[in-house]
Amino acid sequence: MAKILGIDLGTTFSATAVMESGEPKIIENKEGGRTTPSVVALTKNGERLVGITARRQQITNPKNTIFSIKRLIGRRFSDAEIQKDKKLLPYEIKEASDGGVEIKMGDKWHKPAGISAMILQKLKQDVEEKIGQKITDAVITCPAYFDDSQRKATKVAGEIAGLNVKLVINEPTAAALAYGLFKTKGQQILVYDFGGGTFDVSVLDIRKDPDTVEVIGVGGDTHLGGDDFDQKIMEWIIQEFKKDQGIDLSQDQLALQRIKETAEKAKIELSTTMETEINLPFVTSDASGPKHLYLKLSRAKLEDLVKDYIDKSIDLVKEILKTAKLEPKDIEEIVLVGGQTRMPAIQEAVKNLFNKEANKSINPDEVVAMGAAIQAGIMGGEAKEVLLLDATPLSLGIETLGNVNTILIPKNTIYPTAKTQIFSTAADNQTSVEVHVLQGERPMAQDNKTLGRFMLDGIASAPRGLPQVEVSFDIDSNGILNVSAKDKATNKEQSIRIEGSIGMSKQEIEKMKKEAELHSEDDKKKRELIEARNLADNLIYSWDKTVRDTGDKIDQNLKKQVQEKIDELKKVKDKDNIEEIKSKTNDLSQTMQKAGAEIYKKTSEQKPKDEKNKDAEEGKFKEKK
Amino acid sequence: MRGMKYKKKKDEYLENWKRERASFLNYKKEEAERVGEFVKFANQGLILNILDILDNIYIAEKKLPKDLEKNEWVKGMLSIKNQILDFLEKQGIEEIKCLGKNFDPNFHEAVEMIENSSKSGIIIKEIKKGYLLHGKVIRPAKVKVAK
Repeated sequence: MAKILGIDLGTTFSATAVMESGEPKIIENKEGGRTTPSVVALTKNGERLVGITARRQQITNPKNTIFSIKRLIGRRFSDAEIQKDKKLLPYEIKEASDGGVEIKMGDKWHKPAGISAMILQKLKQDVEEKIGQKITDAVITCPAYFDDSQRKATKVAGEIAGLNVKLVINEPTAAALAYGLFKTKGQQILVYDFGGGTFDVSVLDIRKDPDTVEVIGVGGDTHLGGDDFDQKIMEWIIQEFKKDQGIDLSQDQLALQRIKETAEKAKIELSTTMETEINLPFVTSDASGPKHLYLKLSRAKLEDLVKDYIDKSIDLVKEILKTAKLEPKDIEEIVLVGGQTRMPAIQEAVKNLFNKEANKSINPDEVVAMGAAIQAGIMGGEAKEVLLLDATPLSLGIETLGNVNTILIPKNTIYPTAKTQIFSTAADNQTSVEVHVLQGERPMAQDNKTLGRFMLDGIASAPRGLPQVEVSFDIDSNGILNVSAKDKATNKEQSIRIEGSIGMSKQEIEKMKKEAELHSEDDKKKRELIEARNLADNLIYSWDKTVRDTGDKIDQNLKKQVQEKIDELKKVKDKDNIEEIKSKTNDLSQTMQKAGAEIYKKTSEQKPKDEKNKDAEEGKFKEKK
Repeated sequence: MRGMKYKKKKDEYLENWKRERASFLNYKKEEAERVGEFVKFANQGLILNILDILDNIYIAEKKLPKDLEKNEWVKGMLSIKNQILDFLEKQGIEEIKCLGKNFDPNFHEAVEMIENSSKSGIIIKEIKKGYLLHGKVIRPAKVKVAK
């Protein structure tokens, strides 16, 4: 089935996403970027460029490089906005015969929708190339404040690009969709969108009907964005350098270029660190020699520099709430969109206003495109009969040496599924093993739920660790668990069928999960203790075996030393002091190594034996390595 | 009639199962490719950061006073630059050639147009070097172009 493309057609950047196995996925463009600059250019050779390549040549071709087309689309030439923006745009625009805007690129005059179509066409082509499927349908986003004419023009742009535009959806609605906020009725959602060049706030109301999202408040500032933050940092760097060295870098093109890059980098870094270094060696020079720029910028200083912008955005939010006759407490959910919202101070300011955490887990540059893809998925109906597969709510395992819960199938595994693991015996000449099937997350067997148990006997007599018992867990599509154990030597097999166990009641599952969380620290310690004890046991056992097999090759004195260490270890082994067990085990291990070296020396002096020194198994129902 | 209905259902299920198997195997293949590609470019972020440092070494070299050019100690320092270049080359890094070439936005980013005796569109100055990693542009060269 053909996929419907979700498109975030932005003022400075655009992004695309499609649904893949029920999840929205951003599609990278041909150049490998997850976003594409919304820039179109016509070169002197008549070649059309879209995206990053168009932006790179902007300086060489300012009259024929069209950006911010979204500021013009569907507007009348006489609009105050257009008259204001006109002064900032290096390309030529004029009034069209229908009162709209026309843009000159090359020798031709284009409608804004035509330019937007060029961007959409590139986005479409890149996605088709990437996913290897033809795209015919799309959902495109637009700002909540777009009027009918602007929406229509956006739709026309899609159609010119060869797309059947299923829907033009509001950007804030798409963002809320990406967070799945429409699942609960009766909410009012505020979307705070701080992008590179624009700041938008929207209030959505889904109290009446979640299918019709009503926009009850919009506002913002079309000329406030993250770029202003970069500018502030640049100004600060220039000013500090002037104070320090008396040199004005603002006239030095080369230095400015470096400062601009470093300012943006510093801003990004300060979202995750408290302080960053701005280091531009040889930034300039005077009669006395080269000058270096070295500054430290703290997060607090940055916040101070851009405080006005943040305050302004919060004031705008308050204003919109007031217009919509709402209080901050009336807002159930807040969604953060746009790269600048990564700044901790912004997140904090929003949190302080509403007294609650905002939704911010999805990449704020991609959340709108993701939401568009989800809307596209809903409209496409994805597959009619969706195959619903469940996952195990809790882990499944068996009890092994020292009452340990050894997990075979971890929680959240999608079934049907199967897992097989080989275990062994814990004692010499052990002829039967008990398989105790457990459900739960706790490391100690007794803290989990017992699903069933059975014995497998008739195992051939052998030293511990030698027999191989294959334990298989199989969950079929109905959630029925089959556990079987088979002795690989005799092929004797036992099994148990456990029905209705996977699907525990929700409360029961929650209770068990909570308990696991509550006891996690304690449990970890207990488990470590048991593991240390098992290790100690194994070491003692392996010594006994060595003495039995090759005792004649060990010096009596050394034997005595090892025995002393063993006695010491045995004294602490069953107590709860893990550190002591570990240190005594270590002592023993070191002394044993001396003995090992001696045996090795004597053996190689005689004649190399054909038998490999087998590792001791770790005991009953411990996995073989 | 009922038999027909069951046969149809059975075929549908079998078909869906085959599809699911196929889509899983395809996913595995795609994933393997993706991981391969990921490994190839896994160092990209790290290399980009090293390139920023290398930029400063180039600037330092350019600003080297004439009287120090023959200084053995300085020569030793600059051989460290060559060591970094050698290392980067082994990682699959290649410098983008600029000077005297036609401006190409696939590889170059223009920062300024200057009146010059050169033909229009020719790169006359390189502000910041650009690089390819395994043939892919990871940083375009920043250049000045003749008007």
